[in-house]
This record gives sequence, structure tokens and C-alpha cells, in this order.
Amino acid sequence: MATATLDQSEKHINGAQARSAVRQGIEAIRKGPRALRMYMETCAHCGTCASVCPAYYARPEKHYNPVERSDLIRRVYKKHCTPSGRLLGRLAGAESLDGADLERWAQMFYECTGCRRCAMYCPFGIDNSVVTRKGRALMDKIGLTPAAMQKVVRISLETGNTDGASDAAFRAAIEFLLEEMRDEHGVEIPIPVDVVGAEYFYVPPSGDVLVNPEATMGVAKVFYVLGMSDKWTMSSQCFDGANYGLFTGNDEDMKRDNKRYVDEAKRLGAKVLLMGECGHAHRIMKMMMEKQRWWGELPFQIANCLQWTAGLIRSGALRFDPSRNLQPVTFHDPCNFARSCGISEEPRAILRTACADFREMHPNREENWCCGGGGLSALDDIREFRMSVSGKKKLGQIRETGAEYVATACSNCKRQLTQLMEHHRETVAVGGVHDMLSRAILVNGKAAERRDYT
Amino acid sequence: MEILRFLLGVLLPYAAVAVFLAGISYRIYTWKKLASPAMTLFPSPPTEAANRRNAVAEALLFRSLFRGDRVLWVMAWSFHAVLALILVGHLRVLANVDAVLLRLGMTEPEIQAMSGGTGGAAGIVIAVTALLLLLRRAAVPRVREISGLADYSILLPIAAILTTGNPMRFGAEHFDLGLTRAYFAALAGFSGAGRLAALDNGLFLIHMSLAFALIALMPFSKLLHLGGIFFTHQLVRKH
Repeated sequence: MATATLDQSEKHINGAQARSAVRQGIEAIRKGPRALRMYMETCAHCGTCASVCPAYYARPEKHYNPVERSDLIRRVYKKHCTPSGRLLGRLAGAESLDGADLERWAQMFYECTGCRRCAMYCPFGIDNSVVTRKGRALMDKIGLTPAAMQKVVRISLETGNTDGASDAAFRAAIEFLLEEMRDEHGVEIPIPVDVVGAEYFYVPPSGDVLVNPEATMGVAKVFYVLGMSDKWTMSSQCFDGANYGLFTGNDEDMKRDNKRYVDEAKRLGAKVLLMGECGHAHRIMKMMMEKQRWWGELPFQIANCLQWTAGLIRSGALRFDPSRNLQPVTFHDPCNFARSCGISEEPRAILRTACADFREMHPNREENWCCGGGGLSALDDIREFRMSVSGKKKLGQIRETGAEYVATACSNCKRQLTQLMEHHRETVAVGGVHDMLSRAILVNGKAAERRDYT
Repeated sequence: MEILRFLLGVLLPYAAVAVFLAGISYRIYTWKKLASPAMTLFPSPPTEAANRRNAVAEALLFRSLFRGDRVLWVMAWSFHAVLALILVGHLRVLANVDAVLLRLGMTEPEIQAMSGGTGGAAGIVIAVTALLLLLRRAAVPRVREISGLADYSILLPIAAILTTGNPMRFGAEHFDLGLTRAYFAALAGFSGAGRLAALDNGLFLIHMSLAFALIALMPFSKLLHLGGIFFTHQLVRKH
């Protein structure tokens, strides 16, 4: 649960107490981290970020301009933390917090998808998403995190998954997948659960168990084909890598959510924590938790199922019947995989092998445009923004490819893109990378027998 | 008048250099001192050395900007490159660079031609690119809407330096190389610079004072991006 520092009764969103909490938070930037402080002192207001931002691209309004959003904090920082700002005020780009409408701030910090495309093109490499996240952390402190977001964080910390699904619901979902695979291949393809001592511990986003479960079937089939069905496991307590602490800016929540998964991996004695098709989950584990040693030395390695499967394909261990996927397929690079984790060739290696007609959208890889959802995908109250503003460029990109299926490797992207296609009356299907693999992989020499995928 | 000569011609240069050095050292010191969590934002080039090379290339060539906004790149890179060229050119005013150039095999007329040709062209190019950048700021909505007093006001000293500098090359009040060198030598030697004839040239006095004022302002204004660019790229691209 996010720790709101103010009691409900005392909470006045634009009141003195909230204002002082925000001001203290901004003043603390003086003490780092280094990147955030340098972003406060380095921007030259050149506007390049705005021209590459998906929201501003679709609707060039000032409040969508990444500089304007970052300047909310930057101006106050300059006012209180720089000699020139104290002395010269506006002449030095400084402004006091007194006139600020913090409710408006909260809105603006949730109009950035955190895709980090701006950082690719900024002449200084300023990553506005770092400032956005700081802004959200400030809003979180005064209880201004959107209710829907806060609810997901609470549910995840209470139940271990962002859907609040029970142990029984998870087992029922797995049972369903086992049946599906039995129908498809006429053999038992196991999905081991809670097996202590298994070498691989697979952690997908819960969506890949409950909503688009084909990806998990794909992973199960890969293990089966390799004769390694007894070497992996899922956990009935930890089947959702999603971690909304990243999105609300609350580090404490993010770490608490993460610890449960690391502890479970240790309890199971896994050698490899195999992260599923979830960009931010992988990023938090691999690029943050492991790098910063949140929980010290780890007795396991962290890998992603995309890397793992692509490696197997390259070594010739898996065979496919690409005629099972005849429709044109394109790939949407999730920002967290392509820009933040350097994983962009692996999903392509899988799709090129499993599909007959793979098409790139342009630009792609680390230059790809955001789906328009990101951490905001869960927010239904800004659906109009996601459909008509932040997702507009992506819609055009997908249309240009002529693809009938958009594969992507992130539950947030999948939710956003599915809604985007529905909203704009496109008949393009949206799904995972391992979904395509699942339909085409040869199990005992034969691909899945299946009539339709809806 | 005497007091003005002393304030602008003697005190300001020393004060400006001291303020600049103290300010920029303080900035870099605080940046370096701050924690930078081991967190990968973008994967970096394969080795630490390659990452450093990338950061230097970014600072010298504005590579990211080149990919992001080609039109701005042409204006911004020309402006900054010519600015650097002009700073280098000013060495000739500060000291007897000619002797070094002669020893390197250049002839007196060649030095004059280089100084007059390149220096003159640079003076024009920088004025034009500065104007273009200002027009862009005022005309392009996404830039105009984020531009504040700080973005425009910093252009005033720059414009004043350009408009006092160019006439000294092209106009009637052409500066005297010998006199300015004597003046800067006196400044460097702490020996009676205030009395020297270089300061009789009003245009020179204004031009030089503004330049030193701008130098002093650098660590405390948006010009600080000159310092930041050498560090920020490596903060975002990590292993």
C-alpha cells in the first residue's frame, strides 16, 4: 500500500501541507540522483523532445510538451535550489510553487507514457520519463496518484498479482491451458506449478495466464520439445511480474512488490528466473534490482523468455510450420524491451521463424513509437487520451504495414493496442510473440491442430 | 571615466574568470559527488571506452539531435561550431599566436588572410545562425510555448557581443592588435592594465566587458548546458 503521508482528514490537495511536501521533495533533488539533478540544470528548451513525443505529435498542446511537464518541477527547483533562481526569479527560469495547481500537475504527470523516446533524440540525452516519475512520486506523497493506479498497487501488494486473482483462479487457468494443449497436440504438455528444485522459474505478466494465455502455452511447448518439462515451474503465489510501483513513482512499493518474487525464486531454488513477455517487469528485475543489488547477491540468473527462445531457434533446437501463421504479422517493440533493455532482435528471430509473412513497422527497434499506453494502460478514465492522442501515431504505423496481427511482448502494450484497434474499428488482432510460436511450433513433428484463434 | 576603465577594464576580467572557475568547478564537483544508482536506462555501447567516445561524439557533433531534428541540427551545430572557432580565433587577440603560426610555416599575408577571411565569415555566420535560432524560438509553436524570459534574455548579451564585435573587424573602429595584446599581457601580469590605450576604444571596452560578463554568467544560467552535455549522455547509456 502506498504510504500517503497525510491523513485523509488533513488532506487538502492544494493546501499548505501538500504544497510543503511537494516543495521538500523538489528540494531533495539537490541531493541526487545525479541524472535528475543534471536534468534540472541542463535543458536548453530546444523543443526536440516535443517533436518525437507520441502525445505531442498527435495533439500539439502545451500541456503535452515534455519540456512543459518537466519544467513544472524544474522551475520550482530553480527557485529554491539555485542562487540565480532565488535572485532573479523568472529571468532565470525560476518560479515559486505557490501559484501551482497540484491537481493539474497530477493530470500532466499521467499524460506521459514514460516511453523514453524523447531521451533518444534530446541533444543532452535528457530522459523526461525520469522527471515524470519524480513528479508522480511527489503526487503519490500527497495522495494524488489516480485511484485506479493506486488500487492496482494495493491489490498487487496484497495478493501478489495485479488482477487480485486467487490461487484457485490461477490453477483453473492453468488447467484450461493444459486442456487446450491436449486438444491441440493430443499429448500431455505439462505446466509445472510450485515445484521446488526446478531449474527455471517462469514469471509472466498475469495477463499471459488469465487474458492472453497463448504465450504461456508457447513457453510450455518449448520446454516440452526440449524434454525439459520437469525442469521448470510456475508459482501459484507469484505469477505476475507486473510492478506498478514503477509507474506511480513509489520506490518503496516497487521494492516490496519485487521482493516477493525474489524470495519465491530463492524458495524454489531456481537457477534461472525466466521473465515472461513483460517489458517493465524484466527491466525492474534485470536493469534495476540486479544492478543495484536491492537484495544482495542472487543465487539465480535473470533471463527473458524472448532471449531464451531466440537462442534455441538459432541453435536449431526448435522446428516450426510457418504455414500455420499465414497472415501478415508485424511486431511492436515495447519501449521497455527495445529502448531500456536492448532486447529487439530476439522477438524478431522468433516471429521470422514462426510466421510466413513478417513485416517491420517503421521506425522500429529503439526508435519505435510508443503504443500510447505504457503504465497508463490500466487507466480507463483517460481512455480517450490513449485512443485519440497518445496512440494515434501507433495506429498509423500499424495501418501502414497492412498487418493483420500485431505481435508485442508486453501486457500493457497488448491492452492498449487491442483497445486502439477496437476504438478505430480495425480488424487487426493483437497478441504475444510466443502466441505465434505456440501456433507454429512442431511438437512430436506436428504443429497444433486448431480451428480458430479468437 | 577613470573609475569605469578600472571597473570594466581591470576588475571585471579578474572577477569574471574567478566567478566562472569557481562556479563551474562547484557545479562539476556537486554533479560528480551525487549518487548515480547503478541502473541501466539505455543499454550502452559495448565497452566503457566506446561509451565515452559516444559521449564525446555527442558533445562535438550533436548526434542525437541530428537524428531527431535535422533543421535544428544545422542551425545549432553551425552556431556552436562557429562559436568555438571564434573563441579559438580570439587567442590571436590575447597573445602573439602569429609567432607560432609563422614557425609552423605560414606567411604573414596568409595569417592575415586566414584571420580576415575565416574570422570575418565566422562573425557573419554566427550572427545569422543566432538570428535563425531566435526566429525558430519565436515562430515554431512547440518551442515558443516553452520559451520564457530566461531563454530570450540570455540572447541580449550574446547579441550585444556580436554587434560590438563585428564592427571592430568590418567597421571604422577597427581594433589594434598590438594594443589589445599589450593590454591582455598587462592583465595576465597584474601590471597596470587600466592605463593602457586599448581601453580608449569604447567599442572594445563594451565588447570585452560583455564577453567577460557572459563568461561569469555561464555556470548560473541556461548556458550551463555547455557543462552538462559532457556528462548527461553517459548517465543515460549504461551497462
